[in-house]
This record gives sequence, structure tokens and C-alpha cells, in this order.
Amino acid sequence: MRIPCPYCGERDAHEFSYLGDATLTRPDPAAPDAPDRFFDYVYLRDNPAGAHQEWWYHAYGCRQWVKVERNTLTHAIAGARLARDARDAAGDAAGNVPGDAP
Amino acid sequence: MADHSSHPLDTLPFDAVATAGHYGVAGTLGVTARRIDGLSIATLAARKGDDDALAEAVRGALGLELPRASRAVFAGARTLIGTAPGRWLALSGLDRDIAGTLRAALGPLAAITDQSDAVVTLDLTGPKVADTLAKGALIDLDPRVFLPGMAATTVLAHIGITLWRREEATWRLLVARSFEAALLRFLVSSAAEYGFELDDRG
Repeated sequence: MRIPCPYCGERDAHEFSYLGDATLTRPDPAAPDAPDRFFDYVYLRDNPAGAHQEWWYHAYGCRQWVKVERNTLTHAIAGARLARDARDAAGDAAGNVPGDAP
Repeated sequence: MADHSSHPLDTLPFDAVATAGHYGVAGTLGVTARRIDGLSIATLAARKGDDDALAEAVRGALGLELPRASRAVFAGARTLIGTAPGRWLALSGLDRDIAGTLRAALGPLAAITDQSDAVVTLDLTGPKVADTLAKGALIDLDPRVFLPGMAATTVLAHIGITLWRREEATWRLLVARSFEAALLRFLVSSAAEYGFELDDRG
């Protein structure tokens, strides 16, 4: 499988490490129902067969987080963008970027 | 049938860095690797949001345009390589302290870290460089695809490297010093069939 890194170009998946679902937003730990929301966030994950958005870290290249649209059945990749650009496009700091506070 | 009774790695211990000399097939020379000493090397990371101001300052200080992609640019003895968005490698065979030069010129616009002793620099020349690299690379390094001035931070034989093509016939490769022995084992074994020379006169 080859991932089109927006900076480096198309690279073998072995250059990346996988984080997981890029559609989730980390809950606010200060919220009154934070324990329940964290339980959902940590344990109740979907496992979609088909189109999916995922975080991949380009460890052996530009060391950037990349948001990849991948089909989990075919491994076909529909697109990839740098996390920093994905966040800018989302328009707020809660744009599901790894490591970001909610 | 090929003679498998001896192998160039037989005399090369795992934990020792290969010494200068000829390896593999005698009488031919497909690849020469020259260890380049005395380069001053630094990483340059733009402070958030200061990319344009940094590009301007670098233009004034080095006479080089900061590449916005995985590219190498050259001016005299100085080289800049794009390694990531907002991050570059600067090399100089002229300045004794490129990190100090950059720090004085760029002030707070970038984080600058000296890397001179962190990496080993190899210049690869010869008609079989691309064939040799192809044995360990995951990207297309065909000379018709990977053109002079192009750069890549990638893996070679499972080892992280930064590689660029300086000119038509010269490829330069940076590898973390602790991986020098392993990377040279790869070069020795992969270029042995073409004749390989390791040269310390750089």
C-alpha cells in the first residue's frame, strides 16, 4: 500500500505509523459527563468496511501527521492532507487533530 | 554458476564501520562512495507563521531560496534541503559553523540546531548508483525520475536517510552516524556485483 504524502509524494506504508480513526474528537475532560464520553471515545469504536478517515504519521519522511481517506476493503486511497491543513480547513481548533486539546 | 564461496561481507564485522578500499568484483568500478568530512550541517525550523519572513532573511543571508518542497538548492558551497513543511537542512563546506551563521542572520525567525556530528555524509558516484540504491529504496530513484535537485527523506535498507541528487552523476546521502556501519554494509553487499570503492579522501 502506498500513501500519497502531501509533502513527500507517494510513499510506501512502511514509512508511516498508524494512529487510527480521524473522525473522532477527544471529549472535554472538564465536561460533567466526561467519564461516559471518554468511555465512548476510547472503547466504542466503529470498524467501518469501506471509506474511512485515518491518521497516519510519516515517521520516516517529513514527520507530519497525515489525514488519509482510505477504503478499508480495497486499500484504495481517495486523498490525503496534512493534519495542519485539515485543521485549518475545519476552521476551529477542535478539528480532530491528534494531540490537540478540545 | 556464480561463485558463492566468498562474500564481501564475510570480512566486515557487524559492529565495525567499513574501512576505505575496494569491495566486490575486482577490476571494475560501478559505485564509489566518498565519505565527506568537514561539512557544517544544521537543521532549520521556521517559527509558526514566520515562513515568509524567514524566506526573506535566508535569501539575504545565504543567497538561497528556501525550497517549499522536497528539493535541494545550491549556491557556492552552501546547500539547503527541504525535509518537511517549515523545516530544512543547511549544509556548508565553507562556514565552519553554519548553525552560528544562521543564528546570527535569522535571529528569532527559526529554531536552529547543529547537526554536523550527528550525520555521516556520503557522495555516491558511478554508473551503477541508481541500480544499487534501488535494492534498498522504497521510492523510484531512476535517474530519469529522480532528477538533479530532487531530494527525499526516506528509508534505504530500513535505515532513515536524506538523499538528494547534487548533479547529473553525484548523489549525496546523509545518515545518522550510529547507522553508518549498517548502511555501509548495505552498500558494500549491494554494489559488490558492480565493483564498489569506499573512499575517505573527501
